Amino acid sequence: MTEILRVEGLQKRFGGIVVSDNVHLTIASGEILGLIGPNGAGKTSLFNLISGVLKPDAGSIFLNGNQIDGAPLYKRARMGIARTWQNMLLFRTMTVLDNLLIGPRDYPGESIARLTFDRAAVRTAEAAMKDRALGILTRMGLEQTAGSLVVDLPFGQQKLIGLARTLMNDGDLLLLDEPMAGVEGAAYETMQRIVRQEAEAGRAVCVVEHNVSFIRDLCSRAVFMAQGKILQDGTVEELISSSVLTELYFGV
Amino acid sequence: MDYPITIAISIAIYTILAASYNLVLGYGGLSTVAHPIFFAVGAYTAGLMAVDFPEIPAFVNVIAGMGTAVVVSVLLAGSSLRVSGDYLLIASLGFQLGLLQLIKNLEFTGGPGGLSAIPSTLVGPMRGPAFLAICGAAAVACVFVVRAIVNGPYGRAISAMRDEELAFTALGRNAMSMKIAIFAIGCGMAGGAGGLYAYYFQYVSPDQFDVLASAAILTMVVLGGMGTVYGPVVGAVLLLAIPQAITFLQLPPSIMAPMQGIIFTLLVLAFLFLRPAGILGTKGRPI
Repeated sequence: MTEILRVEGLQKRFGGIVVSDNVHLTIASGEILGLIGPNGAGKTSLFNLISGVLKPDAGSIFLNGNQIDGAPLYKRARMGIARTWQNMLLFRTMTVLDNLLIGPRDYPGESIARLTFDRAAVRTAEAAMKDRALGILTRMGLEQTAGSLVVDLPFGQQKLIGLARTLMNDGDLLLLDEPMAGVEGAAYETMQRIVRQEAEAGRAVCVVEHNVSFIRDLCSRAVFMAQGKILQDGTVEELISSSVLTELYFGV
Repeated sequence: MDYPITIAISIAIYTILAASYNLVLGYGGLSTVAHPIFFAVGAYTAGLMAVDFPEIPAFVNVIAGMGTAVVVSVLLAGSSLRVSGDYLLIASLGFQLGLLQLIKNLEFTGGPGGLSAIPSTLVGPMRGPAFLAICGAAAVACVFVVRAIVNGPYGRAISAMRDEELAFTALGRNAMSMKIAIFAIGCGMAGGAGGLYAYYFQYVSPDQFDVLASAAILTMVVLGGMGTVYGPVVGAVLLLAIPQAITFLQLPPSIMAPMQGIIFTLLVLAFLFLRPAGILGTKGRPI
């Protein structure tokens, strides 16, 4: 398995609060890594550091062997870091299809110069992107929602649209922040199936999730975080059976 | 100057201002109030060039006004678009007032008295209609440029940026450069409108670019429908035509003067309560 992401000695503090304390982590292609831990453990902060929302105080981040910690958020996305958000951050005034069409990393239709002087290329790209978007929606069974406003969909489907938009980015690394929170029924099954398929296609996936059964079903490996530190890195079973961790996590 | 033609030219010039302000505020979501200062930059640039270099053709000077407005807007954008919302509002207000003070206190701009004796490029009885044709064509062109920008892929990206800038950026889009581009285009149009204004009226005074002008353009955009392509046109026509309609009532000046303010205020209040999205707006949309 080829290594996609490598994080070395990542350090970040906000005043007296340490959100990332000497974090080392690697994720390989095809792997689904579960990131678990109590609220405030630094899981979302780690996502923010990797994707470039936050700048680390120290440490390095490598994507496909290239050091990326100097690059701003939008450049890291273009290099192949695709992420979702705990509260989805969908484009509320737009349709499902338009939400997805913002997803591709590089898009000729969003340059005024190319819109003016190279309309043929824009039309070709637009058609190709629409096909890809509809393909992803069809895989999720949501193709009939393409023209609806995204805010009119039920919550579980909105979560799926958040994932679909991120898949349009086509990044090698997928960071999924609580994809299952508030999701049940058909959307739950779909989410699981899509995440598994994406890993099988060779993406490295990292999931922050409180739903332990989701992690157990999906992840081969998991990492337990608390107070900005990685306390344990192992199989899901090892983590769940560790009494120290269960005490920290569930307070029992 | 023929009065109805002057009104029509004002409507064309304010249509450019309202349409470009709508691009920046209504579509781009950039809450600036400094739009009139770019109008001023264009007017003063074109006016000064016309006074000092009479041999340069007028359209070059108008384009120079546009270009200067673009340069000044990028200077403001680079430093202040990193903040948004209320902070940008304050920063833009400070920029507008500061630059106005500068214009008032410099000698070559004519100071508080304004810049006068701008040479007339066109002479003769057809001067008014010719200017009307030019300004009207420019207004139509601006509205269509705005329409081309906000429809299609670029407009989709603008909406996404306004909805959720963080998610937009994390999908590989450079929100900052997009904001600067929108701002520069909008302000460039305002600068062009300023150039046309200077040539037609042959006189530019700093007072006409103050916060009252900001309020007037904002009212046009809000009444017509913020974030709609043709709303600002409706707003500009209404706000410039209503005062003329009132003059037909033949009221004494002592009543006329306060009447305008009262009617504008009532209009804004009525729209806020009855139709917050403006005349052409379809439904309430967050700014």
